[in-house]
Amino acid sequence: MKLKVNGQFVNFSEGETILEVASKVGAEIPTLCHDARLNPVGACRSCLVEVEGSRRLVPSCYQKAEDGMEITTENDRIERHRKTLFALYLTDQPETREQAEPHKTNEIFEFAERYEAPQNWGKMENIREDREDRNPYVNFEPETCISCARCVRYCDEIEGVSAITLADRGSKTTISTVDSLSLLDTTCEMCGGCIDVCPTGAMGEKIPLTKNAKHERELEKVRSTCNFCGVGCQLELNVDKEANDGKGQVVKVTSPPVGETTNDGNLCVKGRFAYEFINHEDRLTEPLVRGEDGQFYPTTWENALEVAAKGLLGVAERHGADSLGFVSSSRCTMEENYLVQKLSRAVFKTNNVHQCAAT
Amino acid sequence: MTNSIGEIRDADFLFVIGSNTSEAHPIIAMEMKRAVKRGATLVVADPRAIWMSTIAEKHLHINPGTDVWLLNAMAHVIIEENLIDEEFIKNSTENFEDVKEAVKNYTPEEAEKMTGISAEDIRWTARKYATTKKAGIYYTLGITEHTHGIDNVYALSNLVLMTGHLGKPSAGMNPLRGQNNVQGANDAGATPVFYPGYQKVDDKEVQKKYEKSWGTSLSPNLGLNLNEMMKTAGNKIKAFFVMGEDIVLSEPNVLKLEEGLNQMEFIVIQEPFINETTRFADVVFPSGVFAEKDGTFTNSERRVQRVRKAVEPPGNALADWEILVRLANACGANWDYKNPAEIYSEFVKDTPKFSGISHERLDTEIGTGGKTGLQWPCENPSETGTKYLHENGISRGKGLFQAVSFEPSPELPCEEYGLLLSTGRTLYHYNAATQTRREEGLALKQSEAFIEIHPKDAKKRGIAHKEMVEVRTRRGSIEARALYSRQVRPHCIWMPLHFAEARANVLTNDVGDKITGTASYKICAAEVFKLDTKDHSHDIFPGAFFFEESPELEKELS
Ligand code: SF4
Ligand code: SF4
Ligand code: FES
Repeated sequence: MKLKVNGQFVNFSEGETILEVASKVGAEIPTLCHDARLNPVGACRSCLVEVEGSRRLVPSCYQKAEDGMEITTENDRIERHRKTLFALYLTDQPETREQAEPHKTNEIFEFAERYEAPQNWGKMENIREDREDRNPYVNFEPETCISCARCVRYCDEIEGVSAITLADRGSKTTISTVDSLSLLDTTCEMCGGCIDVCPTGAMGEKIPLTKNAKHERELEKVRSTCNFCGVGCQLELNVDKEANDGKGQVVKVTSPPVGETTNDGNLCVKGRFAYEFINHEDRLTEPLVRGEDGQFYPTTWENALEVAAKGLLGVAERHGADSLGFVSSSRCTMEENYLVQKLSRAVFKTNNVHQCAAT
Repeated sequence: MTNSIGEIRDADFLFVIGSNTSEAHPIIAMEMKRAVKRGATLVVADPRAIWMSTIAEKHLHINPGTDVWLLNAMAHVIIEENLIDEEFIKNSTENFEDVKEAVKNYTPEEAEKMTGISAEDIRWTARKYATTKKAGIYYTLGITEHTHGIDNVYALSNLVLMTGHLGKPSAGMNPLRGQNNVQGANDAGATPVFYPGYQKVDDKEVQKKYEKSWGTSLSPNLGLNLNEMMKTAGNKIKAFFVMGEDIVLSEPNVLKLEEGLNQMEFIVIQEPFINETTRFADVVFPSGVFAEKDGTFTNSERRVQRVRKAVEPPGNALADWEILVRLANACGANWDYKNPAEIYSEFVKDTPKFSGISHERLDTEIGTGGKTGLQWPCENPSETGTKYLHENGISRGKGLFQAVSFEPSPELPCEEYGLLLSTGRTLYHYNAATQTRREEGLALKQSEAFIEIHPKDAKKRGIAHKEMVEVRTRRGSIEARALYSRQVRPHCIWMPLHFAEARANVLTNDVGDKITGTASYKICAAEVFKLDTKDHSHDIFPGAFFFEESPELEKELS
């Protein structure tokens, strides 16, 4: 099937939305309530486009593409709509951009700037209810919530635990839990998906907020692989390069965009939040060698390596190579495992090398 | 895995056995949830009710250790009702007759007596599995951590072969790998029987090849596996080099292992943290964690993905690969790897299945490598890798049926130890938990060791919900908090292995599988005793799927 986007023909298949088809030719359409993983709801009206023959603008995230459609994504009418819409959204946001995005980008401000929406339509009083929550990871800021329900839908449709819900009505609508419990005491599995999908940062990471980490924009993202289970989710380690006397510090972990990697934008509680061990005060920082008195003493690499080499070679000499055992690790890299087996086989001449790998 | 993770969402039938997927592999579980939402049928076979069983069409509440009965009975039904894929069996497999003969006596009715699963459910599952095209099997340690683990795996693969559910998208046999890099560690040859790339240690040709590549003579003898090394620690094995494993927490029957470690002459340990095992070390090397080094991890679907250095290690700590180079050189070698990319290219030189992969490709080819990694086999740099295995026939030539028969687990409940203990993981911690237990947030969610016990068994022993108890086996005893749970069957208890102050592996049995040496973490006999502490106020939340006292339960119990 075929349709036209801004005068350009595009092929598509049954079931694709206008938004999906338009993005194939690079048309830029702002979205707030949309997420490729979720069923579309068409609630925020930011993605409206013009379809030839239809009197009203239509929500492109929701409307299915049809053969022969002629779609316009940029013109005066659409521009006017966008300006008005984002100006309205701004009236329900904090005074300044700094207040509205302490750590994460707030897309309302982002779009308002991009589409040059008027910033002077005044401010509504915020009457959404706040909720104390002693959970360690997820922060909720009612002031910036726009009730698009992406978080609620993610928790329900993707994580499948329905821990959060839309509560109250009208302009009081907010995100809450059953009986306003702390997430810790609900079915929440702390996956942080609600944070990931939130367009304004109303759902945000608690750790960087409480630790006053730099704004996301000033962090460097390093793509890596999660070090916990065998799924192998791809992560972005968000690094403050200057922290820690220039050694750098991971101040938060985010997931790569939807559709790009195996984990499809998702992470679990360990991948997303268990990174503080990296910078933990218990980390070993010096080689240790046991002294005559049975205590460990910090020492130099030269000395520690010499003691280790002497010890291992000594045992090999006294009892033969097969009296040594090398335990490698499925937590370490492929390259490191390769070196351990080569150390065992080529240097010590034994095949006694294994790791804990039952599946 | 023979399939890819991305294929799960399109599967029509999912048979999950011995895998607590939502806790151990949360992101794979998400894909399964997605399939179920789409209308796929999920069947969970597990001795515990787990989160996944709440969305399953059926939960086969199996007696621990009786998997062979269930699987052979399924095979029995499939053969009896002629639901086999004759074409596939004829063209791509060998030995079908053996299995046909072997499962003759495994009728669903007999299986019901052994497994506790109704004959009707066994029949239903077998039919549904055999007749659904996109049918996948997913399993983990609940299948392998038994003395008969390898039999369980054969019994599963028999089902796959007789139905021809292989070499197609969303249909296959999928072990979900536990650790982040189990696959990569095995690919690398960190095993006593294989050189890198699964080339046999006792194959003379292979030995010669590596003698040439490495410029040195090599041992022709098979090595000891982990289980054997641990059991002979202190007598046959006199020195250990241990990198990144807390063996005193993760190996079974640790009190015996500790005795052995005390007899050792020399132990070197390479770790980011002091752990339980460093107590026995003579030298400890401080190593970097994943964010402090470059390299690759290979996930469950054989996908080689980059690990990238984001920060510097603390103090004088070094990445493991750097320490290994220095240690080898201190022992007289002459290694000069400048970076992990060089190590990778040495590895692929002698392992054809990987020779299409390099760090350079993984870093630069956006779309095929840079962002998503490459799935091996990938034999040359122009290939994009392999999404699912056996597309063009089975890789060892023909799929070999292996007849298996039921063998009871070596240690079952008796008068003195009346309960059956299994161990496992939870969502909030990871293995020996040297990393996760240092996370304040995770500690809030799960702060201490617990056992799950059926309320009936607890009440019989006068134990209240959340009360401290002693758990005892023939090998040792520990203290933990008892939680009433209907997730476990009556006469069974379950505990996580993450807690250093209550090490589940003081209790577990170290008999290994006859072939793989994998220990029997899932089954041993235990008894639970009420402790005289007054403290049962402690507020503990054992996880996302937990026990609540309810009026219905009270009724059920009285
Ligand atoms: S963290 Fe995950 S489970 Fe918890 S509320 Fe957010 S989306 Fe739901
Ligand atoms: S984020 Fe969670 S599911 Fe993904 S690899 Fe890490 S531990 Fe596994
Ligand atoms: S993104 Fe389409 S209506 Fe919100």
